[in-house]
Amino acid sequence: MDLQLALIFLQQGIASGLVSGSVYALLALAIVIIFKTSDVPNFAQGEVFMAAGYVALYLFVFQQMPIWIVLPATLLAAFLAMALFRRVVLDQVAKSAKDLVYLVIATLGLSYVLKGLVRRTGFGDTPRSFPALVPTDSVMIGQASVTLLDLAIFGTAVAVMAAFFWMFNYTKTGRAMRAVGMNPKAAQLVGVDLRRCHMLIWGLSGVISAIAALLISPKILMTADMGSIVMLAFAAAIVGGFSSLPGAIVGGFIIGIVENMVGLFISSRAIVLAPFLAILIVLVLRPQGLFGGKLTIKKV
Amino acid sequence: MSSSPLASVAPGKRALTGPAIAGLAVVALVAMALPAFTTGYVIYIANLLLVFVVLCLGLHIVIGETGQFSMAHAAFYGIGIYASALANRAVDLPYPFAMLFGALVAGVVGLFIGALALRMRDIYLALATFAFGEAMQWVFANWDSVTNGPNGLRISPARFGPLEILSDKQAYPFVLFFCLLMIGVTVAISRSRLGRSFRAVRESEVAAMAMGIDVRRTRVVAFGLSAAIAGFAGGMFGLFQTFIHPDSLGFQTTILVLTMVVVGGLGSIAGAIGGAIVFGLISEVLRQAPQYQEIIYGAILILFMMYAPRGLFAFIGDRIREARHGR
Repeated sequence: MDLQLALIFLQQGIASGLVSGSVYALLALAIVIIFKTSDVPNFAQGEVFMAAGYVALYLFVFQQMPIWIVLPATLLAAFLAMALFRRVVLDQVAKSAKDLVYLVIATLGLSYVLKGLVRRTGFGDTPRSFPALVPTDSVMIGQASVTLLDLAIFGTAVAVMAAFFWMFNYTKTGRAMRAVGMNPKAAQLVGVDLRRCHMLIWGLSGVISAIAALLISPKILMTADMGSIVMLAFAAAIVGGFSSLPGAIVGGFIIGIVENMVGLFISSRAIVLAPFLAILIVLVLRPQGLFGGKLTIKKV
Repeated sequence: MSSSPLASVAPGKRALTGPAIAGLAVVALVAMALPAFTTGYVIYIANLLLVFVVLCLGLHIVIGETGQFSMAHAAFYGIGIYASALANRAVDLPYPFAMLFGALVAGVVGLFIGALALRMRDIYLALATFAFGEAMQWVFANWDSVTNGPNGLRISPARFGPLEILSDKQAYPFVLFFCLLMIGVTVAISRSRLGRSFRAVRESEVAAMAMGIDVRRTRVVAFGLSAAIAGFAGGMFGLFQTFIHPDSLGFQTTILVLTMVVVGGLGSIAGAIGGAIVFGLISEVLRQAPQYQEIIYGAILILFMMYAPRGLFAFIGDRIREARHGR
């Protein structure tokens, strides 16, 4: 491969990587805020993302509803579903079993239920595409070709992340969530309603997943299995350090770029393997991730 | 038969009661007499359930006894299937040796994963093993020259000396025998010094270390043994199956086995065996309603975690006890 081509590939890889990476970053953010406050890796995050995509598809394409109803309705549905799952299911699981394994298995159960429900409706059987709300004309940035849709995806994702950080750092609710993440008992002592806070966080993570779904759906084929994209988000979260919010975002962009580079420079068949290798390599070399800080030793 | 070791799984717990012995005897008789009065499909399912029992025993060693979350057991199982089938076909190794070879290869890979896993716990371990499982499935599907890739691999019939196994019925006694053998092996491991150190590590690594247990070694050995047993289950699969496809060795299978162990009750051998049989039958019945399969599957996982986290048998036991005490 000559240098000229390699440079074009490099630019294209970074541009495309930033676009898909922004979606992985959103999903990773959704996973990490839950993990930080509940210590549960939510294995159903991909299916929440998938189901939200189908809710939007159903309302927009099959019910012909205007988009200004579809968007809030989808976000609300995702919020309620996740908040209720936390309140109804996980509170009960946490009450009857102490071990982490049980909570994880409950989220695996949720992922199966959601996937089954979408398949049951019949919508998940045929691959579909969500119509793009932004024109897909391409523009050149440097030597990389991206579409207006790509720019809209990237811009929206970054705006959502910024809004989220503002909420986390400057609002009372956001601070309460951070307090719960650091020390639930102490947070409770200073007047944080733990149960409400957990519901809010799970609901919020549902909203972020739904946004990710709305952004990426026009670019991919929607199937009931599209939730498997969450693997890239898990990889992003691990690269970033799993309990670090900025880490999740940086990790998302890294995974997006690596994935595109692997596709361009190595082979498109190897793309599927990239996230797993990334996870394994990071966990072996630096288990705490890039932003994970020092490893702490667990006391008895 | 398996009856006596089965019951005294948790050391120091109550002895076998009369009804339990009777129940186990009935199960044993039915299991042995099965081929006499049933036909192909039932025998096939019985074979499959016995394989899943062994696979669950493997997962039990690592999750139930040692408390290490592994989500890679479909991969170890797959390694066992491919390794034993290829040894059988390529070198014409007598089948028992091919099975041992499969278990050995899976066990070595398990030791390697265990060594990597030393640096991680809980969620990180779950994710790393999950990633390994997915990567292995990719290898099965893409290493064309060895696994025949996405077309799947034909498994040659197993041979024991002059006897060639060509049907499920012929395979059944062997599958049953190997299953009982592995139950015996697992019980022996569980009761040995090693098994006690597994449980010590599960309860508290720090306390285990204080008692002089080599925690690192124990964790690696647990992974290796568990993977070897899962690999052996893969060899058993090759006794009656003639074909393996990489699609059937992914996350779905890992979740299936995990569900079985959970439904039976994490931490007990009897639970792992019972869960494999009960949930194996449930998932077989659900095949009739594929549209609802995933929903019911997921609902079972969620409901068990909510209301019966100690498993089906403990749940039933508790209800019976409550009824007896008139509550």
